Amino acid sequence: MADNTVSPSDAAIAAAASALRAQQSRMRIIAENMANADSVSKTAGGDPYRRQVAVFTPVQLPSGAQGVAMTRIAPDQSAFRTEYQPGHPSADAKGYVKLPNVDPLMEAMDMRDAQRAYEANLNVIDTANAMQSSLIGLLQK
Amino acid sequence: MTLDDIPLFSALKGRLGYLNQREAVISQNVANSDTPGFRPQDLAPFTIAQGGIGGQLQMAQTNAADLAGEGGVKGGPGGSQTWTPKTSPDSETRLDGNQVVLEEEMMKLTDARMNYTTAIGFYEKSLNMIQLALKAPGKP
Repeated sequence: MADNTVSPSDAAIAAAASALRAQQSRMRIIAENMANADSVSKTAGGDPYRRQVAVFTPVQLPSGAQGVAMTRIAPDQSAFRTEYQPGHPSADAKGYVKLPNVDPLMEAMDMRDAQRAYEANLNVIDTANAMQSSLIGLLQK
Repeated sequence: MTLDDIPLFSALKGRLGYLNQREAVISQNVANSDTPGFRPQDLAPFTIAQGGIGGQLQMAQTNAADLAGEGGVKGGPGGSQTWTPKTSPDSETRLDGNQVVLEEEMMKLTDARMNYTTAIGFYEKSLNMIQLALKAPGKP
């Protein structure tokens, strides 16, 4: 929990800001997955692009608040899709091409999830700001 | 004598501090709404006895015929109080072990914000009362 040197409001904003950054990084990963949804191997029979997953872990911020950070980008271990295309330059000996294990629908859902989380954190900053403003407003009386 | 020596003001001060801290705790929960295995925290409900209020919140009797003013709240020891957050999971647990439900956290946040506005309003009214008492009689 926050020590006494940092106001709880600042700690709240710091935690929310760390989450905004983490969600932005997650959006980057989702964009990479979407962009590479059809990227195949350069060599015949090789592995195509593997889907990446953002891993979030709680981190202790300098303000004492428990924020969040994207600490790792892990590869998705699920199997690749295969398609029979004997004329394709990446096809293996039997004529099958390995395609990335990216599911556009899943990425779209992930993206919506990131967007909602981002909005929620903006809401927190907005509320912290409004509370501080109302407190400072007392000085105008 | 400071404003804190008036039990009403120290009660409101304790309340504002509590809500501020609760907001920080809720913000941590929202920030970690996608962290696997994260368990959200919350503060115990606010009580005057723990709110760091010196003195007693009770109706004053200036005349023997006045009502006794039952049900006054006795304050605990004065001084600012820090509240310790406790784990309080929301209604659902996701498959990755995360127990934060964004909607519930938003409800808690709005609740804290509304109560904060109320406490600020009370503080303002109380300040107005003191200003009223300071005015010279007969002047508007």
